[in-house]
Order: sequence, then structure tokens, then C-alpha cells
Amino acid sequence: MALLRLTRCVLCILSAAALGAFPLAAGDSNPDGIAWFEKRIRPVLVDKCYKCHSQQSDKVKGGLLLDTRAHLLKGGESGPALLAGEPDKSLLIKAIRYHDQDLQMPPKDRLTDQEIVDFETWVKMGAPDPRSDQEASAPPPIQPSNHWSFKAPAPQQPPNVKNAPWARTDVDRFILAKLQEKGLTPAKDADRRVLIRRATFDLTGLPPTPEETQSFVSDRSPMAFEHVVDRLLSSRAYGERWGRHWLDLVRYADTSGCNSDYPIPAAYKYRNYVIDSFNADKPYDEFLKEQLAGDLLPAGNDRERYEHIVATGYLAIARRFGSRASEFHLSIEDIIDNLGKTMLGLSVSCARCHDHKFDPIPNRDYYALYGIFNSTRYAFPGTEIYKHPKDFVPLTDAAQAEAYYKDTTELAALDDRIENLLEKKRSFERQDKVVAKADAKEGALAAERKDQVKVENYPTVAEVKAALEDAHSRQRALEAKVYPFERAYAVADSQPANAKIQKKGDPHALGEEVPRGFLQVLGGQQVQESMSSGRKELAEWIAEPHNPLTARVMVNRIWQNHFGKGIVASPNDFGARGKQPTHPELLDYLAQRFVEEGWSIKRMHRVIMLSHVYQIASDDHAENAAKDVNNDYLWKFSRRRLEAEEVRDTILAISGSLDRSQGGPHPFPPQNTWKYTQHTPFLETYDSLRRSVYLMQPRIHKNPFFEVWDGADPNAPTGERPVSTTPLQALFMMNNGFAHQQADQFAVRVGLVFPQTARRIDYAYRLAYGRPATREEIRLGEDYLARCERALHDTDTPADQRGRAALASYLRVVLSANEFLYID
Amino acid sequence: MSHFNCSCSRRGMVRSLVCGSILLPGILQQLLADAAIPEANPLAPKSPHFPAKAKRVIFLYMTGGVSHMDSFDPKPKLVADGGKPMDSKNPKSRSLLSPMWEFKPGGKCGTEVSELFPHIRECVDDICLVRSMNGDHNDHFQATLGVHTGSVTFKRPSLGSWVSYGLGTENQNLPSFVVLAPQLPYAGSQVWDADFLPGCHAGTRVLAGAEPIPNLNRRSPTPEIQKMELGLLDRFNRKHQQARPGEPALAARISAFETAFGMQQAMPGVLDMSKETDATLQLYGLERGSTKGFAWQCLVARRLAERGVRFIELIDVGSSDNWDAHGDMKTHEPLARNVDQPIAGLLKDLKSRGMLDDTLVVWTTEFGRTPFTDGPTGRSHHNKAYSSWLAGGGVKGGLVFGKTNDYGAEIVEDPVHVHDFHATILHLLGFNHEKLTFRHAGRDFRLTDVSGTVVKALLA
Repeated sequence: MALLRLTRCVLCILSAAALGAFPLAAGDSNPDGIAWFEKRIRPVLVDKCYKCHSQQSDKVKGGLLLDTRAHLLKGGESGPALLAGEPDKSLLIKAIRYHDQDLQMPPKDRLTDQEIVDFETWVKMGAPDPRSDQEASAPPPIQPSNHWSFKAPAPQQPPNVKNAPWARTDVDRFILAKLQEKGLTPAKDADRRVLIRRATFDLTGLPPTPEETQSFVSDRSPMAFEHVVDRLLSSRAYGERWGRHWLDLVRYADTSGCNSDYPIPAAYKYRNYVIDSFNADKPYDEFLKEQLAGDLLPAGNDRERYEHIVATGYLAIARRFGSRASEFHLSIEDIIDNLGKTMLGLSVSCARCHDHKFDPIPNRDYYALYGIFNSTRYAFPGTEIYKHPKDFVPLTDAAQAEAYYKDTTELAALDDRIENLLEKKRSFERQDKVVAKADAKEGALAAERKDQVKVENYPTVAEVKAALEDAHSRQRALEAKVYPFERAYAVADSQPANAKIQKKGDPHALGEEVPRGFLQVLGGQQVQESMSSGRKELAEWIAEPHNPLTARVMVNRIWQNHFGKGIVASPNDFGARGKQPTHPELLDYLAQRFVEEGWSIKRMHRVIMLSHVYQIASDDHAENAAKDVNNDYLWKFSRRRLEAEEVRDTILAISGSLDRSQGGPHPFPPQNTWKYTQHTPFLETYDSLRRSVYLMQPRIHKNPFFEVWDGADPNAPTGERPVSTTPLQALFMMNNGFAHQQADQFAVRVGLVFPQTARRIDYAYRLAYGRPATREEIRLGEDYLARCERALHDTDTPADQRGRAALASYLRVVLSANEFLYID
Repeated sequence: MSHFNCSCSRRGMVRSLVCGSILLPGILQQLLADAAIPEANPLAPKSPHFPAKAKRVIFLYMTGGVSHMDSFDPKPKLVADGGKPMDSKNPKSRSLLSPMWEFKPGGKCGTEVSELFPHIRECVDDICLVRSMNGDHNDHFQATLGVHTGSVTFKRPSLGSWVSYGLGTENQNLPSFVVLAPQLPYAGSQVWDADFLPGCHAGTRVLAGAEPIPNLNRRSPTPEIQKMELGLLDRFNRKHQQARPGEPALAARISAFETAFGMQQAMPGVLDMSKETDATLQLYGLERGSTKGFAWQCLVARRLAERGVRFIELIDVGSSDNWDAHGDMKTHEPLARNVDQPIAGLLKDLKSRGMLDDTLVVWTTEFGRTPFTDGPTGRSHHNKAYSSWLAGGGVKGGLVFGKTNDYGAEIVEDPVHVHDFHATILHLLGFNHEKLTFRHAGRDFRLTDVSGTVVKALLA
């Protein structure tokens, strides 16, 4: 069964044909006929005939090509295949009808009756055929693109502006020039309380404490805000928030995504690597290189070497599919898709089945990258069929590592052996001494394994049983081994080899071999070193300063996570279908500065946050709104909702319950007890009081909290979190146990600090909203608490608990309010 | 729609909240206005591309792969050849397994259905049966995703999410897409996920029992205190919003709390069967007070349909102990008994209430089963050919479409791929499946990927 529907990709190309990408063959202007061909004929030709009758066939049979109309009319050794309008006189039809003993095509797999009727109809129509003579040959070379993002950033001078004093920094000059050009006026400065709340959430995902707010409000030094930014950048919470942005992009998860969603206990090491890298302000180019090729980079000591290995968790964390090794090509697609979107802002995986329809990425380029990633060995978490993990990378010396590899390889092989022996045993039990032929369930598996494992001959069922017992005991012995070192969910090089083009994305229809290399539009460099996968070279091509996309894509992301929208509003797509930059000069300025200043992300935060435009209010302005309703040009600060992690972390922080320690491994059950299958998949969630970035993230069965609050999709690169406003979110705040417990904790916290109701209310406002309560708000709160306490008389709440319960009720409202959830 | 209870509408709920003094009158105008602006509410009812009969869908999904040759696709030759090798030239090939249940014609049209589904057989005049379904994958997880999302590999929005996205919904106090699944199916909640569509279009799983939707039950000490909390919250939010007039999201969130409260009030009524007559319960085969089995699911489905829920999916059993009869076909029997009378009851009930005309009922599974044995008397997975059916809103009742060969192994006439099936369902709801798209990651995605043809023969 073809895992990939050929027809899909064919039809995909079709739309391109309809757009005029392929010249139509002369005389075939009949659109219905062409549609018929595309829908009913071409897929069958591709699927059933091209293997032996195409210019791209490994061996053309009978001298017959079916690639073009001309080929059909010319025919092969038996003469013309086609007489347009005359199905009964066309050899092609004769062959597929299977009436003639000597002429039956396709030889093994007769077409369905419907397909035969379709071909007859098509020939009757005159065999309309849009395929040109060139189509089957190699794609035309890529034209140098005129698209802005493929050109190197040009050096930018900040423009001269009127109202120069408003513009505090170069960034402001770019912004102000655009505002003036569009006839917009910037909003007034944000209130200091608003500003510190904004900055603290932006950099740490947590609210400022009342003390931090107070200290900033009373600090009259001109450096006051700069000091806040520097303090936030050096807090560990910074990496926990900005690392999370990166984890969104690399679709981080603690399970594999296979049919049974196998847990990956070691995945957390990569998560912590990302958080630590942001905190250490690791230069972005190094950060990329380590994730793509850390295992191949030089390292000064073991600690550094292990860190580099863990970094390649970026590749290991790729989405896994199904339960069988035969679906791994989809994981490589996922890697190429992720690398393209995350690092380059390009949808490279569109070129898997055909040349990219909008961007200059030919089909070949996809397979140039595919070769690199197919020359890589990935840690394998196990699936319901192959239960034992293997190829995790031991963080230890070479000798121990080798022993470990030997054991895990043997364990994995034992899975196969046991499966084979069981099959043998079953066939004995069926009184059938022949190894049973493949059936659809175990069959494909058996077929897959037959290549790897020799089926042994055992004359009696007793011997099979003995061999099985042997295998099981060996398995138990290996499972029981304890290793004195840790293993990383990471990658290593395997046997390097170029990949062949998978025609129309079908891994079984192989075409021309493509040398391992980089995208042509970005240089088209090829891997020179034949002994390595080429990941190291690829990492360098991506991270080199002259790559026109890498720095632009990243500074755009940093900008986006401060302002809510990127300069390019499609952060994962800088291609022809992406959005145009609103401030192209500013984007180039930032990208160049990023590279010049050593790819320092923290420096970029300072450049952006110390600008005036970051510090203006979110107030509305009717005249501005009339000209720029979406605030594309930043005449105000765009208000934003807290993200899922911020909602949970802030509630915990305010209630005083947040555990600020760094998260480690998750409490998965011991690996040798796993019995996960697609029938009984892994479904756990593990609660904790740590920051949300440390919660276990399953891939298939999403954590319900993140589902409700628009968390990142752990299956695809999330460049922007969607923001939905739903009744389920409201129900969460109204009725969820967590919301109620934390409101109670909040009440205890507030109640312990202050005995007076008014002070309690004020403190709650300072904690939750970053500002003191007004007199009116205090009165409203006091009135509410009194009424609520009275209402509690009718319940079984003990009299001495009513004050606490009323306060908790009040604080639920405080936490549910828009002022809590939105940042001005 | 005459059968909708007006007091359940959002407008009605807003009014009742005002009367109940939860809302202060100042906000009323604005909330009513919001409900009228589609941009403010992605779930507001919308018109499809062209007029269509079906206004809502009840999607009946059988987990595990129902054997077509034992249910809806009679194969007398397979009965006769049971025990013989599949390939007559190869005596060692798998042996054919005779279907265990007798087929009989039903209704005026005489469509043959096996003894597994005697009740559904009574409804065949309303059923448009497709015996030539085929899909892209032979594993449960992927095939289940395929039937729901059109993709057997990468996760995509579910059919129900697409329908919600295209049509919005008529009752703002209930989710637009409700899933009644006592156990998780293969691929879990991905099956009803909105994926890249806005989150409000995701399926909401409703369970029998104390809390049908997560966080639905009031946790505040008394109803009065909850109303006090919502009233205070409204004051907070209104004041906050007045200072920030240009921000629709703030108003939307105020509405969300109203809807949440409405949902909290409305849902118990949906699940309260006390007013259903004995005759109705008997029709479904539901014991009074029971919330077990497909009978409960089917009756709840009708009640949700009456209240304007757009897409209601029923999944009979979970990812284990289901129709996946590798070892013994007899295991089909209790599973069929669980769904047969309830499904027939649902069809009859909808019909007698005049709702079958504008409700599309879909019955499907992830694949069929092989004509040959797997375990001693079981069958394996078979995605090359299987049966599904449609009934109600705009489909041709009494029709049998498509044909498989003598053993049910291959389709010999009119294949209907899952994409074609989806295209036809969307067509019945008034959509051109090629135009119901959503721009994501630089591409206009659709349910049918780059494929799918409406099967015109199925349309009334």
C-alpha cells in the first residue's frame, strides 16, 4: 500500500499546470479532456506504468515510453501504443484489457474495471494530453530570484526625522520616519507601572513583584529602565520564557508522536539545553550549529562535548510516525520542514513532491538536504512493534559507549527474533509448517523484518519454544543492566550517502541521485567531505553571516515577541507567499547589527527595549486607528493576552505556590514496564508546581490546559501562538480545581500579610495588576466580601473559615478579570 | 428552525442574565451587537457557498474497522468458498473465511444488510449505501486520522472543525462541534482537533456522568455566590474595557463568560432525558436512567441537533476491544448490538420529527476487513474496499453505490476515496470543497488536500 498517495502530488502539480507552468501540447486545448486526463489517466500512468515506461525508469521495457503524447503515438517495439479516437485499435487499451494472453499490462497488477473504462473513454475523446516533451526531463535551472529576502541585507543609515528628540535610538528613527510618512503620531509614554509589567512579562513570562514595581516607580535615574532590562535579562526566568519561544518552533515534546506516543525520558535534556543557552546568551550562530551538528563540533572538554550532543536533540525530537521504520521518510520531511521554517523562514518541504510552486526551491534541493539527514542515525524511542529504544547517544567515553551500543543493538534485534519465533510458533499451532505468508497486520512487519533477520529453521515446536525461552531470558538480562552514565535523545552520523529523488514524493519510486548540499537559491554549496553526513557543513551554510535569511528571520522573531507582530508578519515564511516587511530598512539594520554584535540575542533585546517605541502606551487613538487599524506601524503598543504558560505561572506566582527550581526528568514509569500500543497508548499527565515550560508535553494527547489556552502545537513549528477567546477558558477560571485552589492560596497569602481588609485588597491589586487599588475599588471589594460572607452563612462553611472563603471568592474574580489576563 | 428552543439562544441567554441582574443593562446593547458581527464571533451562523438541504451533521464512527462482507456488502461466493485458499493457484495462501451472518433485503429498495444490523436494515430506504469506499492507510491510527482529517500522516483539522468553521453554529450556548466518545479512539483527541483552524472550532468532548464537559460544574459554594462573582467580574471588566474602547478582544472575553455561564446552565438540560417519552426511549433501546452505550449517545445526539449544534460526532468504542476482529469475527456481534437499534432509532426519530431532511447522518469506520482469515476465525485490516453510508439531508435514500469483486477484496465499480466522501459531505452542506480553505503556513489548506470529487450519484 502506498503510504503516499501519488495522485495527490500529481494533482498538486496539476494546479501548477493550470496556471501555465507547463506549456500545453499543441492541439490539446480541450479543458474537459485535460481534466479527465489529469484526474483519471495521469495518476494511473504514474502509479502503474512509469516504473517501466518512462524516461526516468531505471530500465525501459519494450522500448515504450508513456511520458508524452508523442511517445504514445510513436509507441515501442510492438508499434504505436495509441490511435486517438479508436480504443479498439489502440495497443495500450488492448494490453490493459487483459483479453490477449500475450499482451497484458501492467504485467502483475491488472487495472480495475473502472480504470480500464477511464482509459477507453480517454482514447475515445482523442487522448487529450497536456504533457510537453520537456516535462519528463530535469527541471529547468533556477532563475536568480528577485524576491527581497534572498538578497543580502543592504547597509542601512537611520533616516533623518522631524521631531528628532522623540527618537531616542536608531530604531526609533526608522519607526518615526514611517509613522510620519503614514501621517501617524506615536502615543504618549506608558505609565511606569505599565512599562515594568510589560517588560517583566516580555522577558520572563512572570509579573513583577510589588517591590520591583515600587522600586522602578521611585527610581528617578535616567538609567532606571535600562537597569530593569538588565536585571530581567540576567534572571533565570528569562531563559525559561525565551527558551519556550524556541521550543514552540522546534515543536518540542516529551513523547515521540508514534501511534502509541512513546515517552522519551531523556528529551528534557534538550529542553534544558535550550533554556540554558538563552540564559548564557549563547551566540545564535553557535546555537544553530550545535543543534544541527553538535556531535561533529570540536569540544574543549567532556562537559562541552555532552552539551553539544544534547543539542542535536533538535533533530532527534522530530515527529515520529506510525509504528514502522518504513515511515521514517516522513520524519525526515518533518526535519526539513522544521529547519526550513524555523531557521530560514522557508517552506522547503513543499519541494518534496515537486518544485516549490512559489519560491525558487526545486525538487532536487529537497533531496540534497534529504541526503544529509538520511546519512544521520537518530535515537529511536521505541514503538509498539519495536519496543526497545536504541541509538540513544551515551554521554560517556568511547569504550563504555561501544558496550552500550552493543547491548541496545542486541536488544533491538531480540525484538525481531522474538517476533519471528512467535510467528513460527503460531504457524506450528496452525498445523502449518510453512512460515505463514504476510497478512495485513503482522505481514507488512514480517516483510519488513525478513530483510533484516534470517528466518531460522526449527524442526519441532519444542525447539521453537526453547529458542523463545532463550531469547526472552537474554532480553530480561539485557533489560536489567544498569549503566553508570546518561544517554541523550540525540543523533550521530551514519553511513553517508546521497539520496535519490523520490518521484512525486513516493519513497518507492526512486529517480536521479542528488549530491548532498544546500538550497541553490542560498548558494547551492555541496558536501565535499564524502565521509560525513554533511550536517556540519549545512550548519555552517545556515549560520554564516552572509546568509540573507538566518539573521533576518531571528531578529524578526525577537521583534515579534516584544511587539506581538513581526516586521515580517509571517515569521515562518519569508518566501513569495509570506508577508512583506512593514519596515524593510529596520529589519536589515537589525539583522546586520545582530551579526556584527556577535549574534547576541540579549543585545537585541536591549536594542529593542531601550527604544522609545517599545515604551509608549497602548492607548487608542481614533485618528491613528482610522489610518492603521492593525497598528502595523506601531503608533501604540499592541495590548496582548498572556500566553498559556504565563497564565498558569502567574497564578502560581501570585498565590505564592510557584516552585522556581529548574525542572528535570519526568516521572515516567520504568522503561521495561511499558506496554504502550496504539490500542492502549501513553496518556499520562504529570502535575507539578514548577514553571509550565517544565511540564511534560505529550505529542498526541495534548495537555488539556494548553489545549484550552492556545498552547503551542507539539507537532508543527509554531511561529505565532493563536489567541482565541472561548467559553472553555471562562469555564476554566470559573470552575477548575486549580483556579479555585490557587485563589485560596492567594487568599491565605494576602490574609497572612495584612489583617485589614482594605490592605488585603490593595495588596491583591499590586500582586495581580501591578498597581495599587483605588479607593472606589477598595470600597467595592469590602462590600463584596461582606456580602459574600453573609451568603456563606447558608453553606456548611464553618464560621471561622467564611472570611477566607469570601476572600478566595473575591480573588477568583481578580484572577478572572481582563486586567489580569491582558498586558497594556 | 421551528424545533429550536428559543430560550437557549445567546440573545435569550443575555436577556435572561439581565433579568437575573447578573449583567448590568449598560452592557446589553453591546453584547447583542457583538453577537451580530461575525468578526466578533467566529461561531456566528454563516451561509455556505450555495443553498443546501443539510444544516448539520451527525457522524457515527465505528472504531476498529467494521467488516464490510459481514455487514453491508453481501458476498455469496465468499460464503460458498469459505475454507478454500485465497489464491486458487497457491494452496498455501490464506484461506477464505465465510461471512457468518445471513444477508436479507430490507425496505422497498431491497438493499441487503446482514443479520448484524437488522434494525438498520429497516431504514435502508433512507440510506445511501456506498460499497466502494477506500482509504490511504491500513493501520488504525493513520486511517482513523484519514477518515477524520483527510490526512493519514500530518495532523490536520477535523471534518467537524471544517464544518464549524464554514457554517458557524446556531446555539452560542453550546459548542458548535460536540463529540460523544465514552473512550478515546485511535489518535485520541487529534481526531476532533481544530489544528490550525481557530480553537473555537475544535470538538468538545461530552461525557455521560457528573461533569459532561471539563470545568462545567459550578465549584463556587452556592449558585448565588457564583452569580455574585460573575456580577463583580462584569463590573471589573466593564470598567477596564471602557478605558480601552478600541479593543474587541476585551468585549469578546466579557461575552465568553456569558456563554460559559449559558453553557453551564444549558448542558444539564441537554442531558436530562426525564421528559423523553417511554416510546422514544424504547425506539432507541435505552433504559430509563441509563447513560450507557450507543443508545444514550444517539438520543443525546438528537437533543444536541435539536438545539442547533452543528456537528455531532459519536464514537462507539475506544482504541481497544473494538471492531478490530483479528481473532474471531464473533466479536462483531456485541458491538453491532450496541449500535444497531440506537442508530435505527435515531434515523426514525429524526424522520418523525421532520429533522432528517436537514440533518445529514454519516456512518463510517476506518477500513474494512479481509476476505481471508487472520487469527483462527478473524479477519485483518483492509483499506482497499469497505462500506459506509449516508442518510438524510440531501442524499438519495435506497441507493447502493459502488461494487466490490466476488470476495469483497477489490473495488470493481465506482471507487469512492475518503477524499471523495469528504467532498460529498461538504457538498451536501453547501460547500465547494475546493473553496472551503484556510491560509496556513503560506498555503491554502482544505479538508480534501488536493484531491476529492463530489460523488454526484449520491445526491438526491
